[in-house]
Amino acid sequence: MITQVENPILEIHDLTVSYDQNPVLWNVDLSLPAGNLVGILGPNGAGKSTLIKAIMGLIAPTSGFVKVFDKPLNEVRSRISYVPQRESVDWNFPASVLDVVMMGTYGKLGLFRRPGKKEKDLAMKSLEQVGMSGFVGRQISELSGGQQQRVFIARALAQEADLYLMDEPFAGVDMSTETAIFHLLQEMTAAGKTVIVVHHDIHSAMNFFDWLIMLNLHLVASGPKELVMNEDMLRKTYGGKLNLLTRVTDLIRQKDFNPLKS
Amino acid sequence: MEDFVYFFTFQDPSIAWVVLGITLLGVGSAYVGTFSFLDKKALLGDAISHAVLPGICLGFMVAGEKNPVYIVSGAFLSGAVATFMSSWLKRNTKLSEDTIIATILSVFFGFGIVLLTALQKSGNPEIAGLNSFIFGNAIGISEADLMLYGGLSLVIILVLTILLKEFRLMVFDPEYGKAIGFPMKSISFLFNVLMILAVVIGIQAIGVVLMAALLITPGAAARFWTDRLNPLLILAALFSVLSGILGTYVSFVLPQMPTGPWVVVFLSLFALISFLISPKSGIIFRYFARRKYLRKTHRDHLMKALYKAKENGKSGLTIAEIYQLYPYQKAATNHSISGLSKNNFIATNQSLISLTESGISEGMRIVRLHRLWELYLNESMNIAPDHVHDSAEKLEHLITPELEALLEKRLNYPALDPHQETIPRENHDLR
Repeated sequence: MITQVENPILEIHDLTVSYDQNPVLWNVDLSLPAGNLVGILGPNGAGKSTLIKAIMGLIAPTSGFVKVFDKPLNEVRSRISYVPQRESVDWNFPASVLDVVMMGTYGKLGLFRRPGKKEKDLAMKSLEQVGMSGFVGRQISELSGGQQQRVFIARALAQEADLYLMDEPFAGVDMSTETAIFHLLQEMTAAGKTVIVVHHDIHSAMNFFDWLIMLNLHLVASGPKELVMNEDMLRKTYGGKLNLLTRVTDLIRQKDFNPLKS
Repeated sequence: MEDFVYFFTFQDPSIAWVVLGITLLGVGSAYVGTFSFLDKKALLGDAISHAVLPGICLGFMVAGEKNPVYIVSGAFLSGAVATFMSSWLKRNTKLSEDTIIATILSVFFGFGIVLLTALQKSGNPEIAGLNSFIFGNAIGISEADLMLYGGLSLVIILVLTILLKEFRLMVFDPEYGKAIGFPMKSISFLFNVLMILAVVIGIQAIGVVLMAALLITPGAAARFWTDRLNPLLILAALFSVLSGILGTYVSFVLPQMPTGPWVVVFLSLFALISFLISPKSGIIFRYFARRKYLRKTHRDHLMKALYKAKENGKSGLTIAEIYQLYPYQKAATNHSISGLSKNNFIATNQSLISLTESGISEGMRIVRLHRLWELYLNESMNIAPDHVHDSAEKLEHLITPELEALLEKRLNYPALDPHQETIPRENHDLR
């Protein structure tokens, strides 16, 4: 159940990704239309974060390629914004909320140039959008998990991109904040931006996403929500790991080299 | 005293030069070191500083004399070999980082000592100065050497200042840096180069063995005082420069004294003071904060006891009864009683202690919070009534007025707690 589109904003072509030599995503092939709120669903260890990291070029794929806005990634990086998982950084780092959000402006500034008034205004605006204006000068370790998550989203907003990739932005966020952020994301997609979110709650996924990608080591489904959200697809996604695939993976791991590498 | 004035008025131009050199060196090494401390790479600095020794000896051997350019280049090269060997080993073996660093440190330093001993046996008259590279001697540095070390320090300070935002990103969130297209690999390569340079500039003034302390301790000490990067860097530099100058002064007054150990003594002093007295994270402050809180809980419990006595129809409690409530805590109890009298919450009439008007309100508030929390645990969290008391005993001191209002609303202004006792409010009939 994979829907391909004309003039995709993101095209993933036959992408296989491995950690060390252990394949964690097999031959993903999909394309996404612009202006959608896209959810990536799947059980733990299904390769959801891996897919996002491979799109951002943070992991080199074993085979296949990714094209964004019909161009190779490095030519369009400034138009793509990435929200990593909250746990990926040390929140004890000496920085204020504003310091972190300002990092969103670094990409456009480039090397050597320092952020100024314009960048600060942009950061303040982004903080306002996520409802964190009251925390500008707060030390980041003093924030709750949900507030830290919102700081990361504000940093992504400050990047003023056209495509947003968010890795579990709702982990540790309470219900009302989750809904508020979903509404914000919907406003962004209504304005023509594309937002891709790794998510784990099927219930809210039903309510908010336009398009769903379902993963379980391989691509189970990619298409408009109403087409792919059915019992059959959910069973294929969440119905446990494919036994045979796991055994092949074990076999590959025992080799000293990666046999999938072309 | 004469020495002190002579040194700190900088009449002697050679002293002024040394102090200027030490200042630059202190700022540069504290600057780099703070970043490596924040990046949790403190041990790498230690490994590099030990690993430059063979390079110093080889530089001496090639030049045949104590030529600073040869020695600095040798030190830099062997530091670089050690750094890149450790990252190569980390990538290509399954050894853990601490194993790799410990191995590199001891192998290089051991090799360096072998070379140094061989040089000492060679009978070259120039060799005498080489010993100062182990523990450092700031006073013995010539002006030409100072120009070299000071110049390198300036390079470090400049590069770090220009690339402040890039290094901030490297430490806080390198993956994000990569995602926005910054060359994170080159940035951390550059940082490693700066790190080696920071060790190299200190080899003569501080010595290879203790240079690691000058890298890491200033940042670690400054971290107690601030939660922002810029003040952290400035404070670390200040600690480092002060210790550097004081250490140099000691070597000046006592010419046999090596500079490095004394710099470390002063640095440790700054670190110890920070650890003890810094607000928020210093242990003395934390001790007093905790004691203050414990005293408040004791006072709260006493207020509750008096309020409950009133609920049971007694006008107050005698001092003897109160002592009995808190066995072995006579001193703390007396302290609470005098504190509460001062706040005008209680009044003593002969030996009977009873609540005043404002004391009734305060006692009622604490009892109310206790019982509200018990009810919340019982109703919303399904905890049995006989298991809720201990938690309420601790949380009654913490619940803020906002939380109280929220509890009241959530529980819909209840009349009774899980033990069927009245939840008292201001219009209660006890008044």
